[in-house]
Amino acid sequence: MSAGASFRERAVDLALRRATVIIFAVVLLYFGMQAPLFLGVENLGNIVKQSAFLGIAAIGITLVLLTGGIDLSVGSVMYLASLAAGFAMRDMGVGVAGGVLAALGAGALLGAINAFFIVRLGIVPFIVTLATLFAFRGFGAFLTSSRQFDFPPGLRSFGLASVMGIPVPVLVFATVAVVAHLALTRTTFGRQVYAVGNDATGAVKAGIPLGRVRAAVYVISGATAGLAGFILIAQIGRIDAGFGQGREFDVIAAAVLGGASLFGGVGTAFGAVIGATLMQTVNTGLAFSGMNLYLQPILQAGIIFLAVLVDSLRQSRQMLRRRRTIRPIQR
Amino acid sequence: MTYFGSTGGLPRPAAVKGAPAGPDAVAPADPGKPGSRRQSDRLGAILLSDYFVLYLSLFYVAVLIPFLPTLATPANMSNVLSNMWPLLVVAVGQTFVLTIAGIDLSQGSVAGLTSILIAMLLATAAPAQVLGHTPIWGLMLTEAGGPLAGVAYGTWLGIGIVLAVAALIGLANGLAVAVLKMPAFMVTLVALIALSAFAIWLTQSNNIRELPADFVALGKGTIVSLFFGDQHSAQLPRREVHAFVTWPMIVAVSVAVVAHVLLGHTVFGRRVFAIGLNRRAAEISGVPVVRIVVLVFVISAVCAAIGGLLYTARLETGRPTLGGGNFLLDVIGATVIGGTSLFGGKAKILWTVWGVLFFVLLGNTLNLMNLSAFHIDMVKGGVIIAAAFLDVARQRLRRGMG
Amino acid sequence: MDALLELDAVTKEWFGVPAVSDLTLRIPRGEVVGIIGENGAGKSTLMNVIGGVVPPTRGRMRFKGADYAPAAPADATGAGIAFIHQELNLFTNLSILDNVFITGFPRRFGLADRRAAATVTRTLLERLDIRHDPETLVEDLAPGERQLVEIAKALHRSVDLIIFDEPTTSLTPRETVRLFEVISGLRREGRTVIYISHILSDVRALCDRVAVLRDGRLVDEGPVGDFGIARMIRSMIGRELSSLFPPRSAAPSEKVLVQARGLSQPGVVEDITFSIREGEILGLFGLMGSGRSELARIFFGLDPVAEGSLIVAGRAVSGGPMARISDGIAFVTENRREEGLLMDAPVAENISLATVEQLGRGPLGLLDRDVERAVAERAKVDLSIRASDLSRLPVRSLSGGNQQKVVIAKWLAAAPRLFILDEPTRGVDVGAKYEIYALADRLAAAGNAVLFISSELEELTGMCDRVLVMNRGEITAGFDRAPDMPHFDREALLAAAFREVVA
Repeated sequence: MSAGASFRERAVDLALRRATVIIFAVVLLYFGMQAPLFLGVENLGNIVKQSAFLGIAAIGITLVLLTGGIDLSVGSVMYLASLAAGFAMRDMGVGVAGGVLAALGAGALLGAINAFFIVRLGIVPFIVTLATLFAFRGFGAFLTSSRQFDFPPGLRSFGLASVMGIPVPVLVFATVAVVAHLALTRTTFGRQVYAVGNDATGAVKAGIPLGRVRAAVYVISGATAGLAGFILIAQIGRIDAGFGQGREFDVIAAAVLGGASLFGGVGTAFGAVIGATLMQTVNTGLAFSGMNLYLQPILQAGIIFLAVLVDSLRQSRQMLRRRRTIRPIQR
Repeated sequence: MTYFGSTGGLPRPAAVKGAPAGPDAVAPADPGKPGSRRQSDRLGAILLSDYFVLYLSLFYVAVLIPFLPTLATPANMSNVLSNMWPLLVVAVGQTFVLTIAGIDLSQGSVAGLTSILIAMLLATAAPAQVLGHTPIWGLMLTEAGGPLAGVAYGTWLGIGIVLAVAALIGLANGLAVAVLKMPAFMVTLVALIALSAFAIWLTQSNNIRELPADFVALGKGTIVSLFFGDQHSAQLPRREVHAFVTWPMIVAVSVAVVAHVLLGHTVFGRRVFAIGLNRRAAEISGVPVVRIVVLVFVISAVCAAIGGLLYTARLETGRPTLGGGNFLLDVIGATVIGGTSLFGGKAKILWTVWGVLFFVLLGNTLNLMNLSAFHIDMVKGGVIIAAAFLDVARQRLRRGMG
Repeated sequence: MDALLELDAVTKEWFGVPAVSDLTLRIPRGEVVGIIGENGAGKSTLMNVIGGVVPPTRGRMRFKGADYAPAAPADATGAGIAFIHQELNLFTNLSILDNVFITGFPRRFGLADRRAAATVTRTLLERLDIRHDPETLVEDLAPGERQLVEIAKALHRSVDLIIFDEPTTSLTPRETVRLFEVISGLRREGRTVIYISHILSDVRALCDRVAVLRDGRLVDEGPVGDFGIARMIRSMIGRELSSLFPPRSAAPSEKVLVQARGLSQPGVVEDITFSIREGEILGLFGLMGSGRSELARIFFGLDPVAEGSLIVAGRAVSGGPMARISDGIAFVTENRREEGLLMDAPVAENISLATVEQLGRGPLGLLDRDVERAVAERAKVDLSIRASDLSRLPVRSLSGGNQQKVVIAKWLAAAPRLFILDEPTRGVDVGAKYEIYALADRLAAAGNAVLFISSELEELTGMCDRVLVMNRGEITAGFDRAPDMPHFDREALLAAAFREVVA
């Protein structure tokens, strides 16, 4: 009797902890039943390829969320950094590799601007990145006079290429994920990122260079946003003035779906990968099902809601559990 | 109210003797030099005043007038004011949410949904070739307009329905935050995505025009107009009559005054602050946390809806994307520039009024300079940072002055 | 005997007001030195000077025989000084290992070598007798174990001087015993310890020397053998304190005011039944984790209860805190910062918080600020709260004892009949403790019931009419103050509290 109860409890725990994965499975199953083609290797590969863009940025913002910060400028950085890469490729004749570096570098620079205001001047991240959301996009539109910008044709062949059967965007995505995972779990800096999010004043007392850690995560978030933008552009070949607009919310949602907490200290790089892939799966699935275009965001919102709800349920249960350790439950 | 309980007076604290006096924790006033101190005091007083952002706005206008003479013309002033009112109503709602250390990202989408709902209900006619393929066609909207077209008091009924819908949305947000303990940022982000998609779906991204005159009057109706110039004839030239006291002004000022009283001078407001300052202590001290949090989100959504109604009436169009784009960022930016803290427990409606004024002035002056939209975005970003930095400096000053 | 740390005429002034003045002190190598003093006596300023948080205004320090002038906390750390603060400096979302190595991991192939780090951590933990895997998350550790992890961090940096600031406030008696063993071990290894505490018996039991601070000056110093508790107190407050506890001013009546019957919640408490009479102070003694605070939360409607009833002044109470307050219950929580006060709100607003409804006028509930101010002013006089401007001064700027009085004033305004005081004197200095005891006596003498929860046996035996012992969610024993015997049987009390833990 009591074993049954505890088994049920453990099952619920497991379900809540692996909620994103379970939701993922249900979503795949549902769309698979609607259209068996959906579960084909080609389609699933396409989903991963398309989620690379979102996933790379989500990994970057996961670092920011881990420190308890936020970066609303992601969408604008995607736009401006990709644009910088475009100018470098068109006007300075650097190749695709140069373009990648330019996007990364420009993104990091924009992230450094955020970091300067947040760390040096002590302004709240929400406000700083809200301001740079305006400013970066404004600057990009100023550079292009709000017109569409066409990239050199070499770019698309890079974006659509594959190495040993693995599409380039997926390779880049995987590389970023592995590097971020190792950085977070196997370096002093990574552990300090978690520490800062858990207790910033404690971090200072413990001798952690708080300013440097916080600055670094915004620079990294800028760089990944730049790279993410470039990877998407590499697949479509051009950039218009609305590119990346509103994406900051998708990116945050993907990170949170992947288990990152907005309050800092909780989250993983692979979680962001799963979150982003789930969001893309839903997008693709809805396109497959031929649902009204305008209604699709409602379903996406529902899934995000579900994931956040599960997370808060799990936390409540955990709190309850911690309180119940006084005496054994007799039945 | 009795202080020491129903059991009557306590014995005087005769037992407390031999207890040593602890140090009074108040920092001693720094004597300093009287002359220079008075001056820096005055500067400090301005910086720390509730009217600081108003002074900032006036200073900004004063500096720009020589370069932008049109800024001070009655026509432009009237324009600035008319831009200010709807934004103010929405920002007032946001102020409540920020006070409990929450955030409401869904306000723009509520405004958009409001806009389309009211237009759907009140439209006096609708073109089939534009709206014929929408899911509401035939159900809510026909060639003859919406269900409340021509109904007596239909406009007021419609407004009531729309505000009730907004209140329900706020209720849902509030329950998710207060009862399910989900982070406000994510809850309202989800609401933002879902509601804006729903509003757009309703009309398949089309606008609804042909709104009744009594509704449109809400956005344009003038109560006091001013005429500047010599009166030569009995007939005033229409172009030189400038609306100052308008319906949106009355609505916005009323909302702001009620909100000011509610937040700053009532039991409810005190509890809102208590939750923002320390939620656990508030709960243990008998603050009905769930009820207050839910109410705050309801207030926020209803304010967003009122703002949406004012915009819709002024545009004479129901537009599902009304609160899209940068609207949300304008609202939060204006509120925070006023001085309200994102971390809760520090807010004033008055601050929000000045914050909105400043934001609207900023947009207006940039327009007058004939800057393009992207220039405006850049400057706006810069100004948000500058204002936030000024706020940080003020905080340090306040701490320094103890 | 050489001195590890020497302070020579150290003075620290804030805006011309000295917090530490002309202090000369030698900390001998290899000894445990207790520093005692009331709140505001200058202990924390002194520690901040030693720790490099603030520079001294005048004076010099020498550490290990060399001049020592730290410009930042990192300098103190680098010199070999570690601080163990009251509030632990651990990252709960990280493992023990991560916390030990957070400022720098050993590296292998450019990445952190967790295996090497685990080996080092395991050795450290064994020295402190902690049986946990280095990868255990800190949030899964008990408070006492966390403290030991903090010490492990210090040992990892091989420090010479460890400064403990009120380390036992959140520890159970057993954890305290273990901490003292560890400190003795540190001394055996030749390390030097500065031990700051309000618990004078601990200082007596643990330290080799005692230094007493008052008003920023060193007023008394010497080997612990010369210090009885009485001399410590006399030196701390500068005059004789007739007794640690005020005399009880009235005997409890026979009338039962509070009756708990069969309160049970699976996994938390089991069959809690007791009563409190009018005018009675009932002590509830239990170790940390015995369920005492949980029982208080159940009483106040903060946690659910499956069975049983609670009757206060003839009425069965139910519902959440709001309903319980109007039913006449007040709850002074054990951590005032997190659960008691709005630290950034003015004193007056804190005092009116639980009764703010009564300040509402008219349908909108407009606040009557005059009444609010009057209530606060009366509380200020009544409880001798030392604060200047009640309607502007934030509670944060008050001392711990005065903050606690603000919490009590908040509840007094609600005119309750049952006061639940959960560790009301934690982190409060000797003088303010006395005032809080006197307050508890006044509350009881006015005909109310007081439930006094504490892990300090002295204050329970000093103040209570009866003491219940709680253990693993059950009430395991009850002790009356015998009419002819002014004291409780302390040994029996302790035995009752430890019984099942030992078993």
